[in-house]
Amino acid sequence: MWSYDQQQRLYLENEVLHQEGFTQFTVYRYQATDTYEASGTTSSSSGKFYMLAIPIPSGFPQQRPPMYLTYPFPLYTASGSLVSSLGTSHDMHTLTPSSAGQVQICHWRDDRWRSAIMLHKVFLKGLLWIEAYEQHLATGRPLAEFVSTMKERI
Amino acid sequence: MTTDPQQQQMIREAMKAIAERRPGRSKLVYDKTKRTIVAVTEGSQTPRALNITAEDADMFAVATLSSRWLSDQWGTIIRDRLLRIRFSSWDEGDALTQCDLGAQPASSIVEGVVLLGEGTAPPAGTNLRVVLRSGKRPVSEGSTFVAPDGSIHHAVTLRRIGGSEESLDTDFVDLQPELAIRRATLLETQVLKNKAVVLVGVGTGGAHAAIELAKCGVGRFDLIDPDRLTVGNVVRHPGGVSQVGRFKVQVVRDLIHEKNPDAQVTIHPVAVSAENLEDIRPLIAAAHVVICGTDGRPSKLLVNRLCIEENVIAVYGGAFRRAFGGQVLRVRPRTSPCHECFVAAMPEESTDVEISSQAAADAVAYSDRPVAIEPGLSLDVLPIANMITKLALMELLADTTSTLGILKADYAAPWYLWLNRPEPGTAYADWPPMSESSDEMTINRWYGVDFARDSDCPACGDFIASIAASYGLDPKTFGDLPSLPSKE
Repeated sequence: MWSYDQQQRLYLENEVLHQEGFTQFTVYRYQATDTYEASGTTSSSSGKFYMLAIPIPSGFPQQRPPMYLTYPFPLYTASGSLVSSLGTSHDMHTLTPSSAGQVQICHWRDDRWRSAIMLHKVFLKGLLWIEAYEQHLATGRPLAEFVSTMKERI
Repeated sequence: MTTDPQQQQMIREAMKAIAERRPGRSKLVYDKTKRTIVAVTEGSQTPRALNITAEDADMFAVATLSSRWLSDQWGTIIRDRLLRIRFSSWDEGDALTQCDLGAQPASSIVEGVVLLGEGTAPPAGTNLRVVLRSGKRPVSEGSTFVAPDGSIHHAVTLRRIGGSEESLDTDFVDLQPELAIRRATLLETQVLKNKAVVLVGVGTGGAHAAIELAKCGVGRFDLIDPDRLTVGNVVRHPGGVSQVGRFKVQVVRDLIHEKNPDAQVTIHPVAVSAENLEDIRPLIAAAHVVICGTDGRPSKLLVNRLCIEENVIAVYGGAFRRAFGGQVLRVRPRTSPCHECFVAAMPEESTDVEISSQAAADAVAYSDRPVAIEPGLSLDVLPIANMITKLALMELLADTTSTLGILKADYAAPWYLWLNRPEPGTAYADWPPMSESSDEMTINRWYGVDFARDSDCPACGDFIASIAASYGLDPKTFGDLPSLPSKE
């Protein structure tokens, strides 16, 4: 299922993640299903723990990988509603949640994604989202106010 | 042309008498006083006279049928003396066109028979018959049929309306030679008929390109598109309202066959995705050129990957929003910049796409902030589709001594820009009026833009080696399989 180039790329992604200081994240291979996932537990500047997971799609790197926040679960907004219930939301920078209800963080939209974007940049956007989320909880203001809309290049 | 039914009947009878060289009740005579030809009818108290115009000569209905079809059926008609035939009836019966000639019959169908010789009786209730009378030499070129056994036949088509029977002009056509001869002096049709083109996306631009290539004589097509034709599409798409609801690939297949009946067209009503990439791969591997006219970047990146891996030339085309302009990128794998090189080199141009469907709108915005669907005019999309077609043709004929060869230098650039209008809010808003400028960039002109291929491109370059080197890694040590820990 996975081409040689894809396997090389995933190996490289793992190496770059760690060299860029994202040691909390690793690219894992599920032996039973021959699938890959980049995931790990991270903490915000306030010390709270979060888990991020990027299941690698079969079309990677041409296909944009989704990034889910898997812990805390479920995730609530400042007003007490489920973040996942918002679905795709500009105010919260989220896309369609996973089938299990995990929040999907918008990092790059499909129409902006390109194969040269590496996973450490995706995780970086995840970390920024987490910080913005905590500001949203503290102020009640939309998360979008704390992150500028992404640019094509970062 | 006269519209008086009585006058039409007089002319019809007179011309029929002339054609059959026998006296009739009506005849055409030269009126010296009026200095024109007039028709007069015997027995009329007042002979009716009228001017005969050139158009009046075309007032007979015409039945058109395929000589190849009849040749193929010749064994049957020799045995049975009779063949059933179906005609599309156009314009209240003014033109009858054999259904087998094309892919799109009329809403009104007339059943008829072809009879070998006058002695064969038609089945009861038959209102249309084409009688093949044997002859020694062609009587009329269009109505003459030369059978596979060399025998010559003159066809007379007779139609019963009410209690009377009228004759129609009969015209045998041999499609492929007649189509090919019109192209042969311009293009290498023998080459093109063996060329295969994959079209990913047959919306307005893709459909137009497909039909133009069919007109040029391209012989093999694979059409990939998951969408059905909607009413909203009709103002731009070659498919019409009578086709609404059909898959676009089916609509375009039929339109291709209307232009090139012998074309081999395979349809795939699916979207290109990572899940079906391996199903698409053999189609692309067998193609000489791939034309990608999809709206979204994800499918373009996947097609780009396949075309590079299979070493197939690709042409990507699309309109900017509301078709204020458009762009075309031709990719010669590992020779010119690929689509990934393009999105890296020109991020703004690569993301300014036309919002012509809900899917395209969803792709560029959060769904709680809807983006208006604002497709451009067909006439603004067609210049882009024409450029796609021209570039594809040049690649299809690249290894021949085509007359298109003189254009190689003109089309050397990988990327082409076209503007229909200086859209406010864009980098082109200040372009000078076309009427006032001869040496500055203006609307309605193509601009070829050269840019370098990215040697570190993840699709066509050495991305992994380059990134690895920048981190002090050696890909050779990666091994065949990454030794990553398992996760339960």
